[in-house]
Amino acid sequence: MNIEDAAQATQTYYCLDCGVCTGSCPVSRVLPSFSPRIMVEKALLGLGDELLKDRDLWSCLTCSRCFERCPSSIDFPEFMRLLREEAIKLGTQPAYSHHGMLQTIMELQTQGINQRKTDWAREAGKVAEKGDTFFFVGCMPYFQVIFRYLGVDSLSVSQNIIKILNGAGIEPVVSDDEHCCGHDMLWNGQVETFEKLASHNLEVIRASGAKRVVFNCPEGFYTFKRHYTEHFGDLGFEIIHFYDLVAQMFEEGSISVENGVGPITYHDPCRLGRMAKVYDGPRDILTRLAGDNFVEMERNRENAVCCGTSGWANCSTGSKQIQVERLKEAQATGAKTLVTACQKCQIHLTCALSNFEMDLELKDLTSLLAEAIT
Amino acid sequence: MTYSHLEEVSGEVGAFQLKVRKKARYVNEDLCTGCGACVEKCPTTVEDAFNVGLGERKAIYKYFPQGIPSTHCIDAENCRQLGQGKKCGICAKVCQAGAVDYEQQDQFVDLEVGAIVLATGYDVFDPSVIPEYGYGRIDNVVTAIEFERLLSASGPTHGHLDRPSELALRVEIAALDKDLKKFNRQIDKLEEKHGKKTAEFVKEFKAGQAGEDGDFERWASLAEKAAVAEEKLAPLNKKEAAAHTAKKLAFIQCVGSRDFRFNRFCSSYCCMHSVKEAMIAHEHDNETTSSIFCMDLRAVGRGFEEYKLRGGKSANIQYIRGRVAEITEDEAHNPIVWYESTTTRTVEHETFDMVVLATACVPSAGTPKLAELMGLDLDENGFFKTDSLIPLDTSRPGIFVCGCAQGPMDIPESVAQASSAAARAAEVVFTAPKAASGGGK
Repeated sequence: MNIEDAAQATQTYYCLDCGVCTGSCPVSRVLPSFSPRIMVEKALLGLGDELLKDRDLWSCLTCSRCFERCPSSIDFPEFMRLLREEAIKLGTQPAYSHHGMLQTIMELQTQGINQRKTDWAREAGKVAEKGDTFFFVGCMPYFQVIFRYLGVDSLSVSQNIIKILNGAGIEPVVSDDEHCCGHDMLWNGQVETFEKLASHNLEVIRASGAKRVVFNCPEGFYTFKRHYTEHFGDLGFEIIHFYDLVAQMFEEGSISVENGVGPITYHDPCRLGRMAKVYDGPRDILTRLAGDNFVEMERNRENAVCCGTSGWANCSTGSKQIQVERLKEAQATGAKTLVTACQKCQIHLTCALSNFEMDLELKDLTSLLAEAIT
Repeated sequence: MTYSHLEEVSGEVGAFQLKVRKKARYVNEDLCTGCGACVEKCPTTVEDAFNVGLGERKAIYKYFPQGIPSTHCIDAENCRQLGQGKKCGICAKVCQAGAVDYEQQDQFVDLEVGAIVLATGYDVFDPSVIPEYGYGRIDNVVTAIEFERLLSASGPTHGHLDRPSELALRVEIAALDKDLKKFNRQIDKLEEKHGKKTAEFVKEFKAGQAGEDGDFERWASLAEKAAVAEEKLAPLNKKEAAAHTAKKLAFIQCVGSRDFRFNRFCSSYCCMHSVKEAMIAHEHDNETTSSIFCMDLRAVGRGFEEYKLRGGKSANIQYIRGRVAEITEDEAHNPIVWYESTTTRTVEHETFDMVVLATACVPSAGTPKLAELMGLDLDENGFFKTDSLIPLDTSRPGIFVCGCAQGPMDIPESVAQASSAAARAAEVVFTAPKAASGGGK
């Protein structure tokens, strides 16, 4: 898709040149040369080639803070994504984080490698090979190994979900053959790799006979919800976020929790909040767990700020600055625990927290829930 | 006929039959002299809708000072006598004209008219649906209409730019003061009765040396309560003492207009009312400075551009090109405005005393109902539909529309339209064959 088509697809020609995007952009505040407004302006003035050669194309967090507020409803994150597809073809690349290890793993998965993904699941509880409910685990088993050094225990989140589902009488399908959902590849600009991963996942899910797929990872949830349907049409199964399922369980009375968690606050992940519009589910759980001890940060829900880096690319000192500011914002609420609902947020904020002293603990919402179930 | 509702419409151009419900005011407007003695004595205070909730009014009231006819009205729901079934009747007692009538009923009036002119006005867009501006969450972010009331000599602050955060603070202080006075009155009585100072008593009581008396438990608890109230009051009073009127103002244009999320149209008058409000605020207090944030300041009209420039030169108004991205709040309740100055290409944030949102002009809430009742079409924005070449004619012959019922416009334009609509109506009334049977409007 060339720049002109990308501008058409995301209606950037409606731009009023008002500056709301740049004024809202967390990156522009720490990296003054980065400006969504100027990028749109350049594209519309026929200076797109400059954009396509600029690595800053990947500095955009695609957090959707600008799109949420844009008075012309210009989908700037999607515009960036489309431009990245073009830029990659021209040889421009982002600065891959972690030596590109995560991208390599994603590429490897398209080569038909064998994964042993279910051992940990059987340790946690009962899982099935076929059934109505498919639990899409996502990258947690990989994160578990890669980010062990940070002390982030990603796999326990997946294990807790199996335990909670079992507790409610659900035996989910967990598959060895599940691949990465392709979110990062898609946002890196590698749409072909995304399509390979996605079509494989669809085959695996369909073969399991599942009627619904449960996600905990906000990125997987949003990618299936939006981009899988955009690329492959009707999926033939229902997509549900784990927290929506938890809400149903509370309603049915199949789970109950103890209220007694200390002062906590909550960080909305971009994909879950602004992009999938899941704001209330996590808050309902937090209120059940902590009551009045759940306090909001000043910038919450639609106004929440990204965890500083996305798509395992262009992590910079600016990213650290965004993360540290977010942590300080959490601390200013008086909370002792910052709860996240996305393992990537957890990883990024833990990384920032590991560099300086702060009386703040990071915790995953699902794990917090699992601990409080009576 | 004010304070009335249209209930039914039938007929056609030249001969419309209307049924109007004239709502009960519980005050006979022919007798009422508008002296206001009833308002003075009425014991019930409620939120004042005309002052957009910033002030209070009584249950018997006049909606606003210049209202016509100059009469009063009882808010039945909040009235002790009418709404709450209590014995009151104070307003009837003090009314020298004998105008108060608790038995008054709604009346139905049938009208026969040749033409109808709709001048139903507009509503102000509710900015609380824009999360990034924090309206409703940040006290000192107000709408233009709220600001207008604060600035008005007949408004809740008599024209002083007191900030809503401090108005709320004063309410809190007054409530605590009232409690404290109550405790102290009771404590004084106990001190007198037992001939002992409270401080002395508390000391003895805590040490268990006070002895036995039926009063002592209560006295100790009162002393405790008074101490708590005093402790709460001290920091609040300190804050109140440091409070000042708003001198550094920000005006944010296009709140809810020129925005695909809400209304795509330009509300057209807000640029000028922001300049005007900034000018008046500066007239009230020469230290006032204002920043107007806009994409383009649409000073479209004779003398408007000159007015805008005069504001910049003589009223400390700064025009900043850039739509505000978000508003946060500091510990002293000052709003912080975040924006990109598109002329300098830098992201800035600045702290203000008060932020005024130039809210969009939206169709009044009753418009869809009225359109259904009269069988009229609405345009894509929800205003009464007209054709650009016959801008006063609605989709039904004999029914005309003027002012903001037709779309956003300022006062001079509304006045011009009103005259034109009256002329169009007269045309119908004097030329329609059936006109002789009806009255005319």
